[in-house]
Amino acid sequence: MRARVIAGGVVTSAAVLVIGWQLGGQPAVTAQSGAATGSTSGSSSSSGTGSSSSGTGSSSSAGSGTSSSVSGTFAGAATQTQFGPVQVQIVVADGKITDVTALQLTDRDGRSEQISQQAAPILRQEALQAQSAKIQAVSGATYTSEGYTTSLQSAIDKAGL
Amino acid sequence: MIDTARPTSTPPTTGPFRGTAAPAEPLEVAAVRRRRAGRRRAATVDLLGILAWASAAMAVTLWLVTPGSHSVSGVGGWLTDAGIVAGLIGTDLVLVMLVLAARVPLIDRVFGQDNAIAVHRSLGKPVLYLLLAHGLLLTLGYSASSGSGPIAETIALFSTPDMPLAYLSLGLFVAVVVTSLVAVRRRLPYEAWHVIHLLSYAAVLVALPHMLSVGSVLAHGTWQRVYWIALYVLALGLIALYRIVLPIVVTLRHRIRVVAVEPIAPGVVSIHLAGRDLDALGARGGQYGVWRFWTAKTWWHAHPVSFSAVPGRDRARITVRDLGAGSARLGRITPGTTVSLEGPYGLFTSQARTAPFLALVASGIGITPVRALLEDTDLRPGEATVLLRGSDTSQQYLWQETAALAESTGSRLYAMVGNRARSGESWMTEDDLRRGVTLRSVFPRLLESDLYVCGPRAWSDLVVREARLAGVPEHQIHQERFES
Repeated sequence: MRARVIAGGVVTSAAVLVIGWQLGGQPAVTAQSGAATGSTSGSSSSSGTGSSSSGTGSSSSAGSGTSSSVSGTFAGAATQTQFGPVQVQIVVADGKITDVTALQLTDRDGRSEQISQQAAPILRQEALQAQSAKIQAVSGATYTSEGYTTSLQSAIDKAGL
Repeated sequence: MIDTARPTSTPPTTGPFRGTAAPAEPLEVAAVRRRRAGRRRAATVDLLGILAWASAAMAVTLWLVTPGSHSVSGVGGWLTDAGIVAGLIGTDLVLVMLVLAARVPLIDRVFGQDNAIAVHRSLGKPVLYLLLAHGLLLTLGYSASSGSGPIAETIALFSTPDMPLAYLSLGLFVAVVVTSLVAVRRRLPYEAWHVIHLLSYAAVLVALPHMLSVGSVLAHGTWQRVYWIALYVLALGLIALYRIVLPIVVTLRHRIRVVAVEPIAPGVVSIHLAGRDLDALGARGGQYGVWRFWTAKTWWHAHPVSFSAVPGRDRARITVRDLGAGSARLGRITPGTTVSLEGPYGLFTSQARTAPFLALVASGIGITPVRALLEDTDLRPGEATVLLRGSDTSQQYLWQETAALAESTGSRLYAMVGNRARSGESWMTEDDLRRGVTLRSVFPRLLESDLYVCGPRAWSDLVVREARLAGVPEHQIHQERFES
């Protein structure tokens, strides 16, 4: 009886594993230039030591009102994570974040790259909705999410929003 | 008649003295039917076993279908992924262990709850090693990838959301497994062990958040996540249903209470119970229940005790020997005490027979399921042979009842009284060992019999060992053990 269980178990397990192998695991074809990396980010930032950031924008106080309307592109600090640095850049128009692009995402290996690419659009959407860095982490991409929000917060600080 | 130190035979009585009618089904036909039923049970057991294997393979597959798993590179990558796979298999086996301990009726019916617990126990240590490897490999893998040391990595992991819970879970698993090691468990009171063991539910639960948030295999919106949560729901659901809900329903429905506590030998009491529709419990002779007596001093202790008679419509009886501090108190229970019941459980019944004849061996308090089994089995004259074993004459409780049952069914009955042999490792007395008594001399049809053995663990293991050496097939051996 025991022999039958082991034989059956081995065969069944092997079948399950082969099917699993066939089903997936390959990194997506568009691995290199992810959709999240915006086309506008001409300045490929140096990922050297932690906090390289650049801001090219214009702060202008509009006439009578006290609310400052800011416009421009602001890059957040690069945040180190387990799986590599994460850095985002925000596009601000009249004090509103209109776009978030990822300059760098976790790319330590095939999978973390894949995870980043899954998580980035979700994080971007959340950031645009919240108009802040107080957004929910994407499950399964905790490190990316943390790096993303940290960098996003520094970009927002830079813009003075 | 049976209080003798020598095996004595009660000649099978036939004709007008028979108390029960022999079944009409010919012996051979019954044997074929039993053999077939036995094969069906074995096939179901095998199927369940294969399912457990497949679930472990499925856990690996969850990782295999994750993007990037086919292109693992670097020491860090390999360590990390090995850690992930260890965690997935380990957790899957933890859930298998929960199912094995859930007292699922199907598993009890085809495999026996005691066998299920034996498998549950054998999985404990391997599972702990897998979970420890999971934590260790991931820490090393991450630190190899990021270039920081393992300690810095551990600190970083601790500050990751849900990870403190994961470490807590690991700590709980260590506590649960260590307290279950034979050497440690023997020194712990049952209750302390039990309370710590209950923590395994907490361990399973607090491990879940980090799998869903930190783990990349079970990412949001994937079928893997759904599958994994479904496994959790299944395992914990079975526990909730069969270990909590069903016992409560059984207890409320049958309203069992103590009617009388009857001392039948030094340290041995028969507890007579009354309740509603007890026949609807479906208890077969040889089964046991897990009993709880609701008095201030005894409610926290559950006792696994065999029925010493087949329950009637409103009556049941169990017989207990004070083997531990808890069961010693049972002698002082007063009539009227409310009783709750989990069960009945066990495959020590005539349902498990696979052979034409029946050989019953009981020692000490092990007589209780054997007596009930004899009562519950339709027997032809000469079909069954009973051997009762006691170390002295004070251990002959229920022997008269059993002898009467043997007589009414035309079964042979032998008795063997005296301490276990000193000259060699044997389940017999010194006298009988010298006289050359063997299992086969007591049970001439041993190889065509189902052998049911109940007694102290060390003793019954010796009986079973002799049976195996004599060539009794495994499916004909039925053993119920208790710690002496």
